[in-house]
Amino acid sequence: MCGHDTGCAEYNALSRRGFMGTAAGIVAGSALASWVPKVVLAQSASSRDVVLSIFLRGGSDGLGMVYPFLDPEYYRVRPTILNPRPDSGLPAAGTPLDGQFALAQPMAALLPAYRNGDLLIVHGCGLQDTTRSHFDAQRFLEVGKARDPNLMTGWLGRHLATIQPMRTDAPLRALGLSSGLQRTLVGAPKTLPIPNPANFGLGGDATTRAARQQWLAEEYTGVEAAVGAPALDALNTIALLQRINFTGYAPANGATYPNTGFGRGMRAAAALIKADVGIEAIQLDIGGWDTHANQGTTTGSMANIMRDLAGSMAAFHADCLTGATPTRVTVVVVSEFGRNVRENGSQGTDHGRGTVFFAMGPGIRGGRVMTQNWQTLNRENLEIGQDLRVTIDHRDILAEIVQRRLGNANLSQIFPDYTPTMRGVTR
Amino acid sequence: MGVSLDVTPESALDHETRDAAPAADVASSAAENVAPTATEAPPPSRRGFLAAAAALALTGGRAVEAQSVRPATPRPGGRGLSAALARPAGPPDLSTQWTDPVARLVRRITLGITREELARAKQLGYSRYLEEQLRPARIDDRACSEFVARTYPMLAMTPEQLFRGDQGAAMTQLQEATLYRAAFSRRQLHERMVEFWTDHFNIWRDAVGYLKVIDDRDVIRAHALGNFRNLLRASAHSAAMMDYLDQNRSSRRSPNQNYAREIMELHSVGVDGGYTQDDVAELSRVFTGWTISGRGIFTYDASLHDFGAKTVMGQSFPATTPGPGLAGKAEGERFIEFLAAHPNTARYLAKKLAKFFLQYDPGQAIIDAAAAAFTRSRGDIPSILRVILDQRVLMAAPAKYKRPFHFVVAATRSLAPAVTGVGLMRQQVDQMGQSLFAWETPDGYPDKLEFWSGLVMQRWNAATALSFANSAAFRVDPAGFRGATAEATAETIIARIFGGEVPPGFRTRLTDYVRPALASDTRIREAVALALSSSQFQWY
Repeated sequence: MCGHDTGCAEYNALSRRGFMGTAAGIVAGSALASWVPKVVLAQSASSRDVVLSIFLRGGSDGLGMVYPFLDPEYYRVRPTILNPRPDSGLPAAGTPLDGQFALAQPMAALLPAYRNGDLLIVHGCGLQDTTRSHFDAQRFLEVGKARDPNLMTGWLGRHLATIQPMRTDAPLRALGLSSGLQRTLVGAPKTLPIPNPANFGLGGDATTRAARQQWLAEEYTGVEAAVGAPALDALNTIALLQRINFTGYAPANGATYPNTGFGRGMRAAAALIKADVGIEAIQLDIGGWDTHANQGTTTGSMANIMRDLAGSMAAFHADCLTGATPTRVTVVVVSEFGRNVRENGSQGTDHGRGTVFFAMGPGIRGGRVMTQNWQTLNRENLEIGQDLRVTIDHRDILAEIVQRRLGNANLSQIFPDYTPTMRGVTR
Repeated sequence: MGVSLDVTPESALDHETRDAAPAADVASSAAENVAPTATEAPPPSRRGFLAAAAALALTGGRAVEAQSVRPATPRPGGRGLSAALARPAGPPDLSTQWTDPVARLVRRITLGITREELARAKQLGYSRYLEEQLRPARIDDRACSEFVARTYPMLAMTPEQLFRGDQGAAMTQLQEATLYRAAFSRRQLHERMVEFWTDHFNIWRDAVGYLKVIDDRDVIRAHALGNFRNLLRASAHSAAMMDYLDQNRSSRRSPNQNYAREIMELHSVGVDGGYTQDDVAELSRVFTGWTISGRGIFTYDASLHDFGAKTVMGQSFPATTPGPGLAGKAEGERFIEFLAAHPNTARYLAKKLAKFFLQYDPGQAIIDAAAAAFTRSRGDIPSILRVILDQRVLMAAPAKYKRPFHFVVAATRSLAPAVTGVGLMRQQVDQMGQSLFAWETPDGYPDKLEFWSGLVMQRWNAATALSFANSAAFRVDPAGFRGATAEATAETIIARIFGGEVPPGFRTRLTDYVRPALASDTRIREAVALALSSSQFQWY
């Protein structure tokens, strides 16, 4: 029934086999106390990185996170929401990152990763398309191409679709820690949205569970791939995730994840990646960046999400990316656009253009703020007199990571009709 | 507008009484060229045939290319790059087995088949049942409205009363009343439209709290099957909307652009509706002074209004002398009328409604026909729906995937539980990721297959939770599904859940699951849960 989809028959056969093979593993796996997988599968044959992709939904105020502390215009145009000069002695002051930029105080948890050379900050980054619509901009960014109504899949989805699996036996290659699969991952084979990996399985009577799983496997075999494939993936993933004890997971190096939705997601991502079960990509979102009003500096809504973001990334860095043998992971942090340089009358900022992107990992040439022709924030330097220009296309950052860290050279398929500039993002 | 069409709301009503339309004959013979018999036709071809039939029907038999209606972009179900790039003609479409037009209409305009609903629709026939649903005020719905008034009294409160009351309880009452009405109101199409407009004029509950209770009552429900102009105007006077999109933080000195952008981008002309960033900035000046006062009363405050000259989408607003009256507010009123009457609004709403009721990628012909009905009727919502829900159009529309809200309500309707409270439904919708009024951004919950289809585990567990419900508040009686034999039991389940239309293999599989423990209530509940978990049940 799915003859139009060339990969489908093979896919179903594989899924079916995987399901039958792992059904017995559920009982054995559940007895384990450790988070370590019961079944030690073959080591990943590939040496490429796992990618952890984070989307700051709502349009993040890059100038609120990383600010040009020597530019007097910055303090003039943001009278109520400015980050004080690092040398001001004020408690809200940020910390210099170099001779030009400072990190806002609520982001301070990221300083160890930055100073360790693992965290790259890219300023004035974003989409070349000038849309200020959240929904268009998120779509263009996640798809990896602007204004192409026929391109439905995400850049990360196409990356996974154009490279051999790290592990051929993995039932799950990627997941979105989300209720619905994010656009970034659409098109990826063996990929599911899983809001909480610790709680994934069929409920009801345990004695009939295997029979009901079997019934559903038959019911979803041969149906339309858009519905059939995720159903079969889900059945196979039950056994996979039950081998991992998420609640008992102990982060390394004393790392503590914030007890927030995002922090718990980052902790689950670390457990999944360290379990080495063939997961190649994880997508997480953190919302609340649409700060039209009462943005604040060290208190207020944006300060809280900055602490959440920085604290969770810092814990992940300590847990997974430090020590003698750091896990092979690259973290990328994107947002659909930045915000106006000038604050509005509601102590907030309206939709703008360039913002900060982050990349973090042992393979990232970090410890610096990357810019292109950075200028002062005077009106004449701004896009239509109001916004930080996008001087670095987001695809330059992502494409270099895809090619150099994720081992995929099919850039023309992942970022169609674009020739990325390799800017030295990676080591 | 590309293809000219002669369908009017009036003629659309006449289909049942007409003789077999010549267009249908043409379509049938055309189909035979494509596929000798229906059973041998692979689903994509059949779907193409149905699309072609619709194109012919819409043009009164004049030859047009099937492509004009045939989906240009199949649902993005392809997993893997070959599917993503090659984009096959179309996936197997479940709806091809749904041959009964009345049952198909019930699937689309209600939140789920029940035996009673199907019987009512069959008794009236396609057009009369649709007309009944298009005039909800004439449907006796006292049982539902009395339950809601008794169980969720906070929905009738003023902003002042809500402010002084338990605001968390107010939101819970709104969520549960929404689920109760969706499941048990006899005004089912009205509830479908409430679902549609709630997304179209989305407001995030955490941003506005109890103000959403007022918006739901006085904006969404008051106009769900009324006139779009009145709806747009009511939304622009909603304290919840003003608060959610920061309009109450806008002033002459520092206009906030949030509402000005979204009323164009999302509420009316659409993102490609012909406005620029300058228009957004200018419109934000037009709306200065539109704000809220007290505990959530819409107010125009002339002292905040910018009386300078403005131009928005070519509409000039000359400078006027500042004054305390409503002259400044009239600018915004005028622009709302302009938006409501704009041809791009007609097109945007026509497409969105066609997507909601028909298919993810409606053809241009039906969009144009619905847009024409919008313009001709000056935004009368039932007039647009008559075109979209025309029998021949609907028979050509491939199945759509139920979102979690739709799934939980449809499951509840087929289970026919004894209910005094619907906390269980709310809990299930929350766990499936469509918690009511919880979508943060103003575009509303996506109505996209690929956004929801991955979330099967939560769906299966919701099916189990609902099928096993046996509390005083929400009790499902397994005896209502039991027959004398395994075959009879499966047949009852299929009749109640699917209106009888399933493929033969499914019937056999369900019978086989029931057979080993026919006397067991647990087994029957499990079989019901599996039926609700099946791929069959996920579509409408």
